[in-house]
Amino acid sequence: MAFGKFLLKRSLQGILVVWGVVTVLFGLRAITPGDPVNLIVDPAVDLETRERIRQELGLDEPIYVQYGDYLGDLLVGDLGYSYQSSRPVATMVIERVPATLELAIAATIVALVIAIPLGVISGTRRNEPADYGATSFSLVGISTPNFWLGIMLILLLAVEFNIFPTGRRPVAFHDALWTFLTTFYVGDLLTWLHHIALPAVTLGTYFTALITRLTRSGMLDEYGKPYVTATEAKGIPETLIRYKHVLRNTMIPIITVLGLQLGTLIGGAVVTETVFSWPGLGLRLITAINNLDWPLIQGIIVFVGISYVIINIGVDAIYATLNPRVLDE
Amino acid sequence: MEGADNLNAGRRSVLKAAGIIGTTTGLGAIAGCLDDPNEGEGTEEIVITQGEIIENPDPNDHITGPYFNVLDPVYEPLFNVTPEFEFEPRVVEDWEDTDDGAELTLRDDVVFHNGDEMTAEDVAYTFNRMIDPEVGIESDQAAGLGSIDNAEAVDDTTVLLEHEVAPSLAEYEYANYGRVVNQAWIEEREQPVAGDSADAFNGTGPYEVVEYEPDVQVVLEPFDDYWGEETTLERVVFNADGESSGRANALETGESDIVDNIIPEDVPGIDDADGVEIREETSLRNVFLVMKSGVEPFDSTEFRRAMNYAVDNEGIISNALGGYGAPMSQPIPEGVFGYNPDLDPYQQDVEQAEQLVEESGYAGAEITLYSPEGRYLNDADVAQMAADQIDQLENVSCEFNTAPFPDISDANSAGYDDEEMPFFLIGWGVITGDSDYGLAPFFTEDAALETLRNQEISEMILESQTIEDESEREQQLQEINAQLREEAPWVFLHSQDSVYGVREDLEWEPRTDESIYLWEIN
Repeated sequence: MAFGKFLLKRSLQGILVVWGVVTVLFGLRAITPGDPVNLIVDPAVDLETRERIRQELGLDEPIYVQYGDYLGDLLVGDLGYSYQSSRPVATMVIERVPATLELAIAATIVALVIAIPLGVISGTRRNEPADYGATSFSLVGISTPNFWLGIMLILLLAVEFNIFPTGRRPVAFHDALWTFLTTFYVGDLLTWLHHIALPAVTLGTYFTALITRLTRSGMLDEYGKPYVTATEAKGIPETLIRYKHVLRNTMIPIITVLGLQLGTLIGGAVVTETVFSWPGLGLRLITAINNLDWPLIQGIIVFVGISYVIINIGVDAIYATLNPRVLDE
Repeated sequence: MEGADNLNAGRRSVLKAAGIIGTTTGLGAIAGCLDDPNEGEGTEEIVITQGEIIENPDPNDHITGPYFNVLDPVYEPLFNVTPEFEFEPRVVEDWEDTDDGAELTLRDDVVFHNGDEMTAEDVAYTFNRMIDPEVGIESDQAAGLGSIDNAEAVDDTTVLLEHEVAPSLAEYEYANYGRVVNQAWIEEREQPVAGDSADAFNGTGPYEVVEYEPDVQVVLEPFDDYWGEETTLERVVFNADGESSGRANALETGESDIVDNIIPEDVPGIDDADGVEIREETSLRNVFLVMKSGVEPFDSTEFRRAMNYAVDNEGIISNALGGYGAPMSQPIPEGVFGYNPDLDPYQQDVEQAEQLVEESGYAGAEITLYSPEGRYLNDADVAQMAADQIDQLENVSCEFNTAPFPDISDANSAGYDDEEMPFFLIGWGVITGDSDYGLAPFFTEDAALETLRNQEISEMILESQTIEDESEREQQLQEINAQLREEAPWVFLHSQDSVYGVREDLEWEPRTDESIYLWEIN
C-alpha cells in the first residue's frame, strides 16, 4: 500500500512537472514574435486569406483560450499539426525516436567499451604512465565540445582519408536487422554501422571520459576498503579481486550515472545529429526552431519532458523496491 | 574452483570485449568497401544533396524551390519552362487564349503511377484545389495563381482556365504551377496529403518514388509507363543536409553528385578537390533594404534615393558575397518579363547622397537598419556593411541590429506606415518569371506587403494586369520599374547567385529559376 501511495505521489509530481513544461513552452510561444500564417502560406497572399487562416488556427482568440484549447488537445493526445509540413506532430515526433535512440545507445556502447577497460587500467596502475595517459584522455574528452570533435572527425576520417561517410542514416537499425534475420544479408547492418560510427564516437566521447574517471575513482575507493585486504589475505588472485569484487562494486554508481546520462545524451544529440545530418529528434527540433514551427517545437519538448518524467518515476520505483526505507522518507 | 571459473569468465569477458571492438572496426572497414560512394558509377545513379527536401508529399502545398526539385520528376509540370522562361509543350500539347480565359489541350496518353489515366477533370481539379480552399487546400501556390478564377474540363482533353487578366500574366501563372494530381486518389486521402511512405505519391512524371523518409531522403526510379522518352538515370537519391559545409563534404567525398547553396566560405575547398567543381548562376532572388514610405524619414523620396547613393553595392557583393551576386537596378531581377534593361544600378556617390539628405529636410536623421542572420547569403554582413556606409554620411546616423527573421517577416507584412521596424533587409524571389509577382505585393495599395504608397504606380500595376498585348504590357512593366527606380522604395542591393557544387563529369547547368530538372542532367 505504501508503495502504491509512493507511486501515486511521484506520478502526481510528474504530472505537475509536465504541466509546468507545457505552460512555460506556451508562454514562450506567446511572447515570441512571428506570424505563423507566414509559415503556412506565401507571404504575398491577400490580407483576407491571412485573416481567415488565423481564425481557422484559433490565433485570433485570447491567449487564455488558446492555452485552454492546447491543454485540452494535449490531454487527448492531440499535439496538433506542423505549420511547415501540415503533418500530425505526434507522427513527426514518434518517427524520429528510433534514430535518436540508436545514436544514444551506440554512444553508450562506445563509451562503455572504451571507458571501463581504460578506467580499470588507470585505477590499478595509479601514478604510472598508463594512468597518466588515461586521465589525460579523460580530461581532453570531457573538455572537447562535441560539435568541434564531430567536424574534425568528418574532415579527417571522411574527407581526408575517406574511411567513413560524412553522416546521414541510409538505413534504420531495425530495418537492417530485419533484413539480416529474414535473408541473412549483412550489407545493411554493415552500412548502418559504417554510418553511425563517427556520430556515436562524437556523442560518446564526453561520456567515455566521464565513465573512465568514475571507474578510476571507484576502483581506487574500493581498493582502500577492508574487504579487499581480507580477500587479498585469503590469497585470492589479484585479477579475480579486481574483476569479481572491486570492478563489480564500482559498477553500481556507474550504472546509476548511465541512467541519469541518458537525458544528457539525448540533449547532446541535438548538436551531433545536426553535424552529421543524423535524422533524429534533435535534428528535427533544430529545423522546427529555425522555421519557428511552434506546434512541432512544443510536441518534441513535451514528448522529451514526458519521457524524462516516466524514466524518473521508473527509477524511483526501482529504488523503492530495492531500498524500502525510501518509502518511509 | 568457483574462483577459477570466474577468473576464466573474466578473461572471456575481456576477450569478448576486445572481439567486439575488433569486429566493429573490421565491419566498419568492410562496410567502407561495401558502401563505396563511387559504387554508383556506371549505374546511372546520382545523389543530389539539398539544404532541405520535402516534409510533405503534396505537390500543391508548397512553394519552396528545393521541394519542386524533388517533386517535379514525380508530379511533372504541365509545361516545359526553358531557362529563358519560355513555355514549351509537355503534358499540355497546345494552348490558346479565348474570351473566357485560356484553353489547354492535354495529351491523351498520360497515366498516373497507380495506373489511372490522367483526364481533363484531374487537371481542372488540380487548379481549383489550389485556388479554392473549399475545393482543396490552403495552398502556398494560391498567390502565384492569383489571376485564375476557375478551372473547368471542357472535354476529355481540354481544360478552360477562366481569368480576366492579360493572357501573358495568366500564362506565367498557370504554366509555372499545376503539377497534376489524381482527383479520385487525392479525395480518398487527408488534405493536404501527408503520408510518410512511397505510397503517398501518385504523379504522372517520368520517375516514381520508391523510398521516402520525410525531410531526410527520397529515392526515385524510372516510371515504366511514362508517356515520354526513356529516362537516362536509373536511380536518383535526394537527401538533405542543412549545413553548407556538410553538403560540401558530401560532394568532396563522392557521396553526392550535386549539392546546392554553397556559401562563399566553402567554395575554396570544392575548388581544390579533385573531380568536382563550382557552378553558379544569378538567381531570381533579390536582396534589398525596405524603407517604409509612410514613416519618417523614409517618406521623402530624396531621402530614400540618398540611401541608394550612400551604399556601395558592388563593394558589398565583392566583399560580403565573394562576388556571388549581381547589383540590382530595379525591383525586378534580370531575366524576368518586364525587366527594364536600360536602367543602371545606383553608383555610390557620397556627396550626392548628403546633398539629397539636405534636400529631404531630414539632415541629422538617426535610423536603425535591421537584418536577419542566416536567412540569405551572408545577410547580416551585407546589412552591416550597408549600415556602415550610410553612417559615414555626415548628416545621417545609422545603427545596425540583427533581428529574428519572424520579426522581419512581421514588419514586412505590417503595412507601409508601420513604425515598429521601418528599415530592414529582406529577400524576394520572382518565381513566376513575371514582374507582377515582384511588384503587385509591394507596390499596390493595401497589398499584403505594401512598402510604398504611390497611387500612380499602384494604378499602373493594376492596369498592367489587364493589358492584352504582350509587348505593350512589357513596356508598361518596364516603365513601372523605371519609375520605381526613381522612387527608390528600397535600397536596391543585389540578385543573389545560386552556387552549386557539381561532379565535374556531370552535364548540367544551373538555371536562373534555381530548378534542378532531372531531364536536364546527363
